[in-house]
Amino acid sequence: MRTAVFWGCVIPNAQYAYELSVREVLPRLGVELVDLEDVSCCGTPIMSVNMNAFLYLAARNLAIAEKTGLKTLLVPCSGCRLSFSEAMHYLRRDEKLQEKINSLLKDEGLEYTGTIRMRFITDLLCNVVKKEYIQKLTKKTLNELKLASHYGCHAIRPSSIERTDDPENPRNLDDLIGWLGARSEAYPEKLDCCGSLLLWSHHDAAFTFAGLKLKAIQDRGFDGVVVTCPACHMMFDERQKAVASTVGSKLDLPVLYYTQLLGLAMGIEEEKLGLHLNRSPVDKLLEKIG
Amino acid sequence: MTITDLMTTKKPDSKLRLKVLEKIGEHKPYNCFQCIRCTSGCPAMKMLELKPHEIVNLAKLGFIEDVVNSGIIWTCAMCLKCKERCPQEVAPVDLILALRNLAVEMEAKIPEGHLKNVSMILETGFILTPREAITRKLEKYSRDKLGLPKLPKPSEKFKATFLKALGTS
Ligand code: SF4
Ligand code: SF4
Repeated sequence: MRTAVFWGCVIPNAQYAYELSVREVLPRLGVELVDLEDVSCCGTPIMSVNMNAFLYLAARNLAIAEKTGLKTLLVPCSGCRLSFSEAMHYLRRDEKLQEKINSLLKDEGLEYTGTIRMRFITDLLCNVVKKEYIQKLTKKTLNELKLASHYGCHAIRPSSIERTDDPENPRNLDDLIGWLGARSEAYPEKLDCCGSLLLWSHHDAAFTFAGLKLKAIQDRGFDGVVVTCPACHMMFDERQKAVASTVGSKLDLPVLYYTQLLGLAMGIEEEKLGLHLNRSPVDKLLEKIG
Repeated sequence: MTITDLMTTKKPDSKLRLKVLEKIGEHKPYNCFQCIRCTSGCPAMKMLELKPHEIVNLAKLGFIEDVVNSGIIWTCAMCLKCKERCPQEVAPVDLILALRNLAVEMEAKIPEGHLKNVSMILETGFILTPREAITRKLEKYSRDKLGLPKLPKPSEKFKATFLKALGTS
């Protein structure tokens, strides 16, 4: 299949490992990615400032995606998923609002019609690529690993809009990990938030959110954490040392993107998956995989 | 300030109350029966003493200005658990966002980080600019060096329209 892809702000400006691994893995699974021109921030970061400006940004990016004529838009960032699902919901429900936003889009010759289908990365892998294809292409089984799945709040909530997973007991990521032979065990803190959106107002509290979750995962003897959101990954991986100080303990926990894990199972070289860019101690995990 | 304090010292403002209601679509605070399910699962309650059910109650009663100026609305982590779990479809987080929007309109004190997001988008189209990645071995990599494609730059037209959108409420 061919799909448009929307990278957002955090992935293409700061989380290159995610972009590299998505670009490396998906085409091998039969998904051709089409980059979008002139896109901008998805809008989520300014929901707090002005809802109309948020809707404008969301609808503008969606309109650019629609212009490609493609039927699907792949979204690998859960923050962007929130923006688009909310905007689609509001604009579908309210014709006048859609007209108002479209009158802004007209300045650039764009129009939002609501015809493209958005798919979050785990949704695409679970429901379009599917288990059989993934398992056909995996060369290594990861049965030595016990991994903690971290979903990302905006990947599973709100569920009322386009329910692709159970918001209280999400399964997609756990299934995806399990298909590679690794154990994805349940843990009580699974649905806890990484805290990243508090960075804009309460920096220390944001770090404590992340620290508490990582500490709990580490104490439960997991080999690593698997994420699918660049904001969560930044909190858990790049900032791991700093967040450790908020909970007063040493953290030494490998954190990686699902697409990196999948790539490893497919036998792809580490550098191609951006694994040299992870700041958390992923070497421990790589040794176990062999 | 608690609700009891407010009720004895302040008067509710029905005009502002309506203004907030207009912003939140179908998720009306008056459907709230104060079951506190939202607050019991709120991560910001544990860390920063945010009580979403209390915000809902204050909005319901019309004590808008006090909430808008209190700073407590900026403690929400936007995890959306309250919206997911409210049995009455009240969506406290949507109310909090509406109150934040109102705080911007009323020129109340807004956390720097949120304002910076706006100026960054105006300048670059994104909330971040491309930065060098540093590996575990402390080597530096740019997008270019990693073989990743160039990023789009916002046109003058985009900037002008974004400004226009910011001017609407
Ligand atoms: S969960 Fe809903 S009904 Fe219950 S207190 Fe919170 S807002 Fe009110
Ligand atoms: S969205 Fe905000 S108010 Fe609602 S549960 Fe999460 S942190 Fe609390």
